Amino acid sequence: MRRRLFIASSVSALAGCGPISAALNGNDGVRRALASAEALNHALIGTHGLAREYGERDVDRHFRINGFATPSDAHYADLLASKFARYRLIVDGAVERPAAFSLSRLDGLARQTQITRHDCVEGWSAIGKWSGVPLRVVLDEVRPRDYARYVVFRCMDNDGAGTLYYESLDLHQARHPQALLALRLNDAPLDADHGAPVRLRVPTQLGYKSAKWIARIEVVGSLARVGGGQGGYWEDQGYEWYAGI
Amino acid sequence: MSDAPRSWIYRYPLLVRISHWVWLVAFFVLVGSGLQIFNASPNLDASDKSDPARRVLAIGSPSDGHGTTTLFGRTFTTTGALGWTSDGMGGRGAHAFPAWTTIPGYQDLSGGRRWHLFFAWIAALCWLVWLVVSAFRGKLRDMVLRVSDIPKLWPMQAYYLKLRAQPPPYGIYNPLQKAAYTAVLFVIAPLVVITGLALSPGIDAIAHPLTAIFGGRQFARLWHFAGMLVLLAFFALHVFQVFTQGLANQMRSMITGWYQR
Repeated sequence: MRRRLFIASSVSALAGCGPISAALNGNDGVRRALASAEALNHALIGTHGLAREYGERDVDRHFRINGFATPSDAHYADLLASKFARYRLIVDGAVERPAAFSLSRLDGLARQTQITRHDCVEGWSAIGKWSGVPLRVVLDEVRPRDYARYVVFRCMDNDGAGTLYYESLDLHQARHPQALLALRLNDAPLDADHGAPVRLRVPTQLGYKSAKWIARIEVVGSLARVGGGQGGYWEDQGYEWYAGI
Repeated sequence: MSDAPRSWIYRYPLLVRISHWVWLVAFFVLVGSGLQIFNASPNLDASDKSDPARRVLAIGSPSDGHGTTTLFGRTFTTTGALGWTSDGMGGRGAHAFPAWTTIPGYQDLSGGRRWHLFFAWIAALCWLVWLVVSAFRGKLRDMVLRVSDIPKLWPMQAYYLKLRAQPPPYGIYNPLQKAAYTAVLFVIAPLVVITGLALSPGIDAIAHPLTAIFGGRQFARLWHFAGMLVLLAFFALHVFQVFTQGLANQMRSMITGWYQR
């Protein structure tokens, strides 16, 4: 019986090319070759297009909850209990005027509402009505320096092993007219499960770019020293930094 | 064996032979990595956003040890085949398609996406080069189905079914081959590429109509999957034909170019 089980599992492992695909998938040269498609896609599709905007009747009233678990640490619980009165969005790094924005100050900068579709890398889609301040308005407040290239989002949610979520856009993507720091979902302030108090919306790319629970925005000249160097939590796990496809 | 003299024809030029084998590899990788990507969200909806009310296909595992497949609202138990299947690591788990059908051969969405998006380029560029060179050389005329071929379709089928002693007269490709190649190379394969593009948020943002004509993102995902099934059916029929119409002659011609008539 054991022998038969062993034979059966060897056959199924061979049939599935498990060892072959594991070896190929783990090979650096193969990975680099496969990754060349990302540069082609980025060059051809780009990030200048405008995502389709929908009407009220298309909105998912119960927007699907995704991403890491809602933060449950004492710091976040404290912020939540005070309705984020003590929350400040830090925006610093390669900027001329680093700043710490309270929610009311953010809200007073500018307001934009978009009803856009969230496309998850897993394959599902949901439509939400998002309101907040365009990211480019916040960047104009802090004035990125000449060598600034990327905008990094530092978040309060962690992967369960202690690593906090992080994501990034280049300055071109960050200044896209639909790149939004959302404070509200479906006409109510963001709740804890949907990324309160501030989350990003980048409707032209897959959902993992739209970081939730943002604590700090750091403008940098290079992504080399951000996490594993690929520009985001999932990017460091092998996902594409350019997530338009 | 008949004693009639047989003739050699140079049927497949080098470019056709190379394209054929490149497509075989690319198709194998694209199907496997596509199933890997499908497994991350094993539902297909006839809608723009995800909508359970318009769900056409759902593969799932309602509880450990059970796999189900729901097609047009009818649920079938598919434990072991779909829904609850091998995980590629020696066990079983809640995976829609079993690990042996996916690339990589274990759960790895980012790996699947890398393989898929790379080989999509290989397949598409190979098609483009083949198309331009074949058109330039005037070779497409031999294989595209024409109106004048349509009356010959049934006699050819009748010949295959042994209802007719002789096939109708034809050139390099018979009328049924022309119909199959025309459908696959000029209709189905391009549609699979286009629906794959249409389900991407970046493409939707620069070309709304492309996503809209297929009924939205999830619908494009459904067409993309359906197109894959049609290509898989063509592949099965194609391999069956190769095995039943003189395996050695067919393989020789696609490797060396020379076909014995």
